[in-house]
Amino acid sequence: MGSEIFNLTLADKLYRTKYETNTDHTHIKVNDEICPKCDGKPCTFGCPAEVYKKNPNDPNRITVSFENCLECGTCIKICPLGSIDWKFPDGGMGVKYRFG
Amino acid sequence: MTADEKVKVDVIVVGGGPAGLSAAYTMAKAGLEVILIERGETCGSKNVGGLLYGTILNQMIPRFYEKAPIERPVSKRTIVFLGGAEHAALTFGDDQWSIPPYNNTFIVQRSQFDRWFSGEAEKAGVSLLEGTVADELIYEGVNGERKAVGVRIRGNEEFYADAVILADGANALLTEKTSKEMNLKGGKTKQDYAVGVKEIITLGKGKIEDRFNLESNEGTAVDFLGSPFEGLIGGGFIYTAKETVSIGFAARLESVIHSGLSPNQIMDGFKRHPVVRKYLEGGELAEYSAHLIPEGGYRAVPQLAANGVMIAGDAAGLVNMSLYKEGTNHAMESGKTAGETAASAKAKGDFSSKTLGEYEAKFRRGTAMRDLKKYRDLPKVLETTPELLSLYPLKMTRMLTDYFTVTAASKSETQKKALMNFLKGLPKFKFVRNMIRGRKVL
Ligand SMILES: Cc1cc2nc3c(=O)[nH]c(=O)nc-3n(C[C@H](O)[C@H](O)[C@H](O)COP(=O)(O)OP(=O)(O)OC[C@H]3O[C@@H](n4cnc5c(N)ncnc54)[C@H](O)[C@@H]3O)c2cc1C
Ligand code: SF4
Ligand code: SF4
Repeated sequence: MGSEIFNLTLADKLYRTKYETNTDHTHIKVNDEICPKCDGKPCTFGCPAEVYKKNPNDPNRITVSFENCLECGTCIKICPLGSIDWKFPDGGMGVKYRFG
Repeated sequence: MTADEKVKVDVIVVGGGPAGLSAAYTMAKAGLEVILIERGETCGSKNVGGLLYGTILNQMIPRFYEKAPIERPVSKRTIVFLGGAEHAALTFGDDQWSIPPYNNTFIVQRSQFDRWFSGEAEKAGVSLLEGTVADELIYEGVNGERKAVGVRIRGNEEFYADAVILADGANALLTEKTSKEMNLKGGKTKQDYAVGVKEIITLGKGKIEDRFNLESNEGTAVDFLGSPFEGLIGGGFIYTAKETVSIGFAARLESVIHSGLSPNQIMDGFKRHPVVRKYLEGGELAEYSAHLIPEGGYRAVPQLAANGVMIAGDAAGLVNMSLYKEGTNHAMESGKTAGETAASAKAKGDFSSKTLGEYEAKFRRGTAMRDLKKYRDLPKVLETTPELLSLYPLKMTRMLTDYFTVTAASKSETQKKALMNFLKGLPKFKFVRNMIRGRKVL
């Protein structure tokens, strides 16, 4: 029991964080023309919430699970090709830290 | 919207963190009409932090610690040098740190603390517009003559003011957009960032006080030098709240990319380190969070004022990333100074870059900028001498463990071996040079 917190998956962790998601409105888009040209694809590991994943059908493309976004801004800074169009979620939506 | 429907106040503040709240509070106390726009449902709901250094807040709200939601004061501090499995720690403190004014160092939960501060600002007369995203500034004039006269929020509503204070934090989309539109000067070097990940772990009061050796009115800050992964540049911390501990790790973005590790993996590696693990055993995760931290320091600080605009806090990169990891206090000093400048601009009836430039001049002479200046070489040192925060702490801890390893060998043999192990792999001259550089980190 005691060792549980050392073996949480990211999904377990995000489950503890409170969100209010605008499910039909993504605040993050990637450009499918640009991503295939990106070698390292740092978004796929640099995001603390693993929002960006390689598309299983076409690993050159990126899928975006925007609802997990913690709004830290890391992806905007690490994307080498400026492919990410990132806006703030609408007011009051998105992550809501209870501790912070 | 017609001209007579136009909502106009003296100053609009964007961002309800320590910088924006300090600015708004200061201006409202001086009698200005102020709107503060915050995108979170409440102030603090988007914010992540660690310790609160309270010297500036205490000037604005004397003895704030009697009313604010303080979890614990920092009554003692520990610095741990992390190696692979070895470690060395230094603990220090003072009885004075457990009584007012508590050495001005506190553990807070930012979501609760910022919310409290926003309540104080509201009582002082600030109109809070929470749950509202500021999308762009409204200008009069063109190019070099541009003057900010208001803010357009999501949904296209407009609010007008004589000046706008941008305090939108590290992920400063609005400050970045405005800087382009107004052609503001960047710093001498570009801004660098670290990503901070943090977990809140519920342990319960009893366990916390036992484990960290605390009385119920005491708290502690444990900072870690060295990292769980070789070559990864960053540092971790554990701070004790009342019922929970905050554990965090901040890693430089280039270093994260270079390592190929995700911030979550880095966090897990840090948590599982034998030294760190013991503090957390048996706890329950209450929250996982992440936030950028500007690390460029003194040289990356940009132009802070223009016609109708002032920039404060993390949006201007005012964080000292040395062992102090000081951001909140600098945010408050810049916000307060910007607020004071706005009040004198209002008295003069002049919000031009000349008058608002007094904010930049005054802030650059203040304590925060003097501190940032002292550590101005830190970003470069970390870039060119990454071993300072990875190899050396590891070597140090290994030397101490070697030194105290008890075997049949004589003391002098043991000590000689410890020293030889320490020097192994360290080019001699580089070591001396690096120790000199190391002073710039501490
Ligand atoms: C893990 C971690 C540990 C830290 N540890 C420490 C520490 O120990 N000591 C210390 O002093 N500092 C620490 N810091 C740094 C400190 O948290 C920051 O320096 C401080 O929060 C900066 O205050 P700010 O007001 O400038 O920005 P923030 O607190 O980020 O506030 C900015 C506000 O603006 C809002 N906003 C942004 N854009 C918009 C928009 N367009 N419209 C409306 N609202 C907007 C945001 O929602 C937010 O509320 C730490 C940071 C992190 C991430
Ligand atoms: S880092 Fe940017 S360009 Fe590269 S794959 Fe990710 S989003 Fe696309
Ligand atoms: S803002 Fe942070 S959490 Fe959100 S997608 Fe970007 S890196 Fe991930």
